[in-house]
Amino acid sequence: MKARIGLGWLLLVSVLALAIGPARADTPYTTWTPGPGGRLFMTQDAYVPWAEVPLAIAGAEDLYQTPEGVLYLADTGNGRIVRLSSSLEIAAEYGKGTLAKPTGVFVDETGTLYVADARLNQIFIFAPDGTLLKTLGRPTEPLFGKSREFLPRKLVVDKRKNLYVISEGSVQGVVQLNPDGHFIGNFGANIARMSLKMLLQRLLLTREQLEQLVKNEAASPSNLAIDQQSMLYTVTAGTLPKESIRKFTVSGRNIFPAIHGSTSFRDIHVSPEGLVVAVDGGGSIFEYDQHGTLLFRFTAKDYGEQRLGTLVNPTGIAQHGDFIYVLDKDKNALVVYQATAFAKVVHKAVSLYMEGFYREAKPYFEEVLNYNGSFIMAYQGLADAYFKEGNYPAALQAYRYAEDRNGYSQAFWELRNTILQRYLGPFILFLVVWSVAQGFFKRLERRYRWLDPLRQRLRALSRYPLVDDFLFMLRFIKQPADSFYYIKRDLRGSLPFALLIYAWVLTVRVLSLYVMSFPFNRYASPAQIPVVNEVVLLAVLLGLWNAANYLVSTISDGEGRVRDVVIGTAYSLFPYALFMLPIALISNVLTLNEVFLVTFSQQVVLAWMALMLVIMVKEVHNYSFSETLRNVLTTLFTMAILTLTAYILYLLFGQVFDFVQTIWQEIGLRG
Amino acid sequence: MAKFTYLMLIVALLVTGWPLLPARAAVPAASLPDGYEKVAENATFDLYLNRETLAFKVLDRRSGYLWSSNLDEVTREDKLNKSWTAFARSGISLEVMDAKTNTRRVSITNAPHTTTIQLLEQGFAAQVTFDEPGITVGVRVLLEPEGVRVEVPFNEIRESDKYRLAQLHLYPFFGATKENETPGYMLLPDGCGTLIAFAAQTKAQNMFYGRYYGADWGMRGQIPYNPETRPAHPLSAPVYGVVHGAGRHAFLAILEQGSAFAELQAHPAGVITKFNFIYNLFIYNESYYQPTNRSGAGVTIIQPQTNAFDIVQHYRFLTGAEADYVGLARAYQRYLVDAGVLRPQAEPRGVMPLRLEFLGAEREKVLFWNRAIPMTTLEQVRAILAALPAQQVEVTLYGWQPDGAAAQPPLHLKVERALGSEGDLRSLAQTLQAQGGTLALYLDPQAGLVGERGYARSEVAEAITRATPRGYNRGSEQIYFNLKAVQRRLETLLEDAEAAGATLALDGVGYRLYSDFHPTTRLNREEALRAYQDLLGQHAPLALYRPNAYLWGATRAYYDMPLSDSGYLYTTATVPFLPIVLSGYIPYYGPALNFSSNLEEDLLRHADYGAYPAFFLTQEATAKMLKTRSNWIYTSSFDQWQDEVTRAYTWLARLLGPVQGYPMVARTQPHPGVTVTRYANGMQIVVNYTTQAVTVAGTTVPPRDAVLVQTP
Repeated sequence: MKARIGLGWLLLVSVLALAIGPARADTPYTTWTPGPGGRLFMTQDAYVPWAEVPLAIAGAEDLYQTPEGVLYLADTGNGRIVRLSSSLEIAAEYGKGTLAKPTGVFVDETGTLYVADARLNQIFIFAPDGTLLKTLGRPTEPLFGKSREFLPRKLVVDKRKNLYVISEGSVQGVVQLNPDGHFIGNFGANIARMSLKMLLQRLLLTREQLEQLVKNEAASPSNLAIDQQSMLYTVTAGTLPKESIRKFTVSGRNIFPAIHGSTSFRDIHVSPEGLVVAVDGGGSIFEYDQHGTLLFRFTAKDYGEQRLGTLVNPTGIAQHGDFIYVLDKDKNALVVYQATAFAKVVHKAVSLYMEGFYREAKPYFEEVLNYNGSFIMAYQGLADAYFKEGNYPAALQAYRYAEDRNGYSQAFWELRNTILQRYLGPFILFLVVWSVAQGFFKRLERRYRWLDPLRQRLRALSRYPLVDDFLFMLRFIKQPADSFYYIKRDLRGSLPFALLIYAWVLTVRVLSLYVMSFPFNRYASPAQIPVVNEVVLLAVLLGLWNAANYLVSTISDGEGRVRDVVIGTAYSLFPYALFMLPIALISNVLTLNEVFLVTFSQQVVLAWMALMLVIMVKEVHNYSFSETLRNVLTTLFTMAILTLTAYILYLLFGQVFDFVQTIWQEIGLRG
Repeated sequence: MAKFTYLMLIVALLVTGWPLLPARAAVPAASLPDGYEKVAENATFDLYLNRETLAFKVLDRRSGYLWSSNLDEVTREDKLNKSWTAFARSGISLEVMDAKTNTRRVSITNAPHTTTIQLLEQGFAAQVTFDEPGITVGVRVLLEPEGVRVEVPFNEIRESDKYRLAQLHLYPFFGATKENETPGYMLLPDGCGTLIAFAAQTKAQNMFYGRYYGADWGMRGQIPYNPETRPAHPLSAPVYGVVHGAGRHAFLAILEQGSAFAELQAHPAGVITKFNFIYNLFIYNESYYQPTNRSGAGVTIIQPQTNAFDIVQHYRFLTGAEADYVGLARAYQRYLVDAGVLRPQAEPRGVMPLRLEFLGAEREKVLFWNRAIPMTTLEQVRAILAALPAQQVEVTLYGWQPDGAAAQPPLHLKVERALGSEGDLRSLAQTLQAQGGTLALYLDPQAGLVGERGYARSEVAEAITRATPRGYNRGSEQIYFNLKAVQRRLETLLEDAEAAGATLALDGVGYRLYSDFHPTTRLNREEALRAYQDLLGQHAPLALYRPNAYLWGATRAYYDMPLSDSGYLYTTATVPFLPIVLSGYIPYYGPALNFSSNLEEDLLRHADYGAYPAFFLTQEATAKMLKTRSNWIYTSSFDQWQDEVTRAYTWLARLLGPVQGYPMVARTQPHPGVTVTRYANGMQIVVNYTTQAVTVAGTTVPPRDAVLVQTP
């Protein structure tokens, strides 16, 4: 029976491929795939519209396809379930007369149908010949909840015949029932998010006021699918796109990372080959691999032009072999898409990769790159293949393109390891020799004073003001508080050098982003760094601090002049100016195993800088400790207020400008 | 007795002469109803007029088939309401617009009117005044050797103070059929050509309507751009056809004048009415939305001046073997040849040309300044050409200007330094010319790149809403120039290019037609059409991207020919109408094959339609320009594509080389998925799209392959 059905579908494909002939038209949509930087880039068509098959259904809400490829539709408007033949015609109907409004259907490997009815709020189980086997209503177990409603809309059944039911509005997640219909538990609930606004509301508002606000509940899952390993996938409409699809282990843990998703997913399906397809309310079709990596996305929305392959109101999706089937509720039709040669290569590569055959997948991934040079997944596959082969330099570059920091770090570790093993012995020897020689040299130098002319030269240099200011900066390391006094008394430190420090700090900021090694860098490539943004932000921040600090201190008995504040702040930035760039440089020889070194040293630098700023405020304005703290907090507050004021002025002036321009246009038009 | 003899003689004559009478078509020719009088005749046709409704009928004496311009009587089964009955019975119908921009339809038979008719030697001229709106329209119908010509001169149109003429429906029911009573189809110039078969039901929920040459930017200002959708093809030729039984009767409707303001309306049976009808609608006045402030509030008003254009529409009638889409295409080709648009080409050389477009340089932002990234230098172009087996290559350089493709091309020829010098350009052009190829510089003379320097505000055209017309092409937002600026840019660069031995490949100006409402450079769309024709006609023919029919006279080569239609649900088949029209006269190249998702399928299509291959190449990998505006070129590196280009070229050259320069004369489909195209030199190309080998005319074609059959 099963084999015959499989053969029937094979026949369908070959017969229809012969009859329909060549694909005639351009696709009405463009196809996108993730590229560098997490953005989507255009690519060749992955799926082309193949046919639109009108059916005698009304308002159909669900579509299910068995692993052998047989399609079942929940014909909601006509109160029945229909099974389609291999030529996509209605071959059988089930449940007519029993069902009122079926919105979810699932068929297991024996052909037993499970139907969720939305008007009767019950689950009906039919035998393959159509006789009603069982009806399941609201679970009576106390664990289910006393006042909780049971509104089954969609369902799937796993290999042990447990039912997973989407109950509408169920914020506790998916309802799990055993084969007899007893409630086992909740599964796969979404997480409710707490935002800063909500936190403030909870702190400040009274209980009565809180009652009036909308409860912060997690969104309820809208649809679900199950794969060959009985792992459950849910889609949730109305959450953040990156959490809209979740894949659960048997214990209920979500193993999908942040994905490219949508806020209005309608249905999801996992094909026997392991590809996940989903369709959303805007007519976009997404295809992922087993790990949640987006492969393709295309939006086939109908804008009224009635072109083949467009969708008006998609409610169900399924995939089998090279075809995607989408159920359109308003068109009462099945829209079928066929994979292109390009998509077939991608699928082959991905399926080999998923099973761990990295080396076998390599030629396919190389072919994918021929099609599209920015296909991130291909670089990932190639990088893993190179790594397995031991070709670490190639793996390094491929991981860089794939933006895989972990992989890059591991490949780098391997390379570093080989280099260390080769050169460590000689290197240690060299160190020993060097220190011995240095010891000797020092001893001799003390006797013969060879370096005296050099020392004289350096002392002469320190007569130049800028060099003197630089040496003064080094004094801050040991004696910070004292050195600020020198600034106040105009004894050392000059304005030009302070401006130089500011410029250097801005440069270091940008340079460290460029120089920082890839695993530790927020940006995957130099081209992604928004240089102007960084520079402007930092410059504005420094300017605001100086201005705010001076303003606040003048009204709270601070002694510092503008000059003192500016120079003092500049010198307080010395930890950043001196040490940030070396840290970034050193990160180039470290791997993610040593990430502690990098982050810790960065944090030390920043903390030191903050400390220096506090000391600066205390010494330059001559405050006590509590006054200093108060001053610093007020300064920060003032900076925020200054920013807000600037923004409001910008908006207001924008309005004035708009108004004048409108008047001008009206005069021109009517005059 | 004598009477009896004479009677027998007449009977005998009739009996013997019966077969000599014109063959009665299987489709019953309607007998002439009351109200029609014969007003003209020529060697092939008779013209009949109904003075009351202004409907006319044409009798094709070759076949005896009677073509009707309207429905004569409407029965209850036809289920047409009063308004539609009048629409179907009247020769012309008008949409009139009042000052508040409300429109309503008036037809001759349902509105009080006054008609004056003058009979002319080959037809008639009529002036119809609709009393209530106070609008007068003049129509002339004249016989021609190949059919009928319908004219509506602008100087005979009068409008009143209160009402303006919004649209004119000109003989909408010409050649209309009911449901599937008559077998046949409508041919639309959508993409490369598409057919809508006559049927009792249709999947369409709305009729097909589309302005020729796309929407008018001058009326709209800015058309929203959605990168996720691929827009439908605009109609590039002002022509449509109707077939009443393939192999029996057909007609082709060609708009000689007035196409810039015409809209094609195709109604399959089942959408609104039970009839299949197709016709041209002409737009004289439109209402538009004038925004008055930045947030978008505004008013809807009528355009201040009525569009001034004449209408000249030809109907050409075909019978017998010519009555199918191939015959319609060849009839259009004959029309264009007679009009001097298509000129006979040089002797066929038997070599298939290859088109290669190269991206020269692009620009990326590094820290604070911009840096040009050379993607293909002139030396590398030379090396690539040497590495390919193609003998005759059309090379287009895109992004030759300083700072590459993201920058506005300068007025005079200046090559980006990283690519080479002008001397290099000259020597490359000479090398190509020696092999029979050409070097062309890419230019879009109508477009200014938004955000770039290099053009002045005074060069920009103005839409009716006082906004500037903006669009999108090749990853950049563009702003469009007025005619003088277009002329200046085109001519100065062409001069420089020709001095260097190269030529230009023009994008945009071929398919972008817009009116200009700036007070000093005012131009309506029809005038713009003539102006572009004159402008390009003054120079030697150039290569154009997707040119509309009015520029075919100035086209040396047609780039980016669409090889498919827009995929409307209610169309039944894609046909190579455009390729058949142009084959043998203008060489046409398909879209760049890099972007193809199924290269094998697309190459078969090229072999089927006689299109030459085109590729978009760069030396460097596309990963280098992902942050630039040219990241729509997602694959182009020559290292990756060299084998593919060589293979595709060699395969296609074997098929299309021997038929280069010869027009297509016939096309059949013996089995589904197998097509046979015959060329004027007797050779045939058999393309097998199926996955099984097929045998046609004694030749076996392997699956997914094509074969050239040289008939002895």
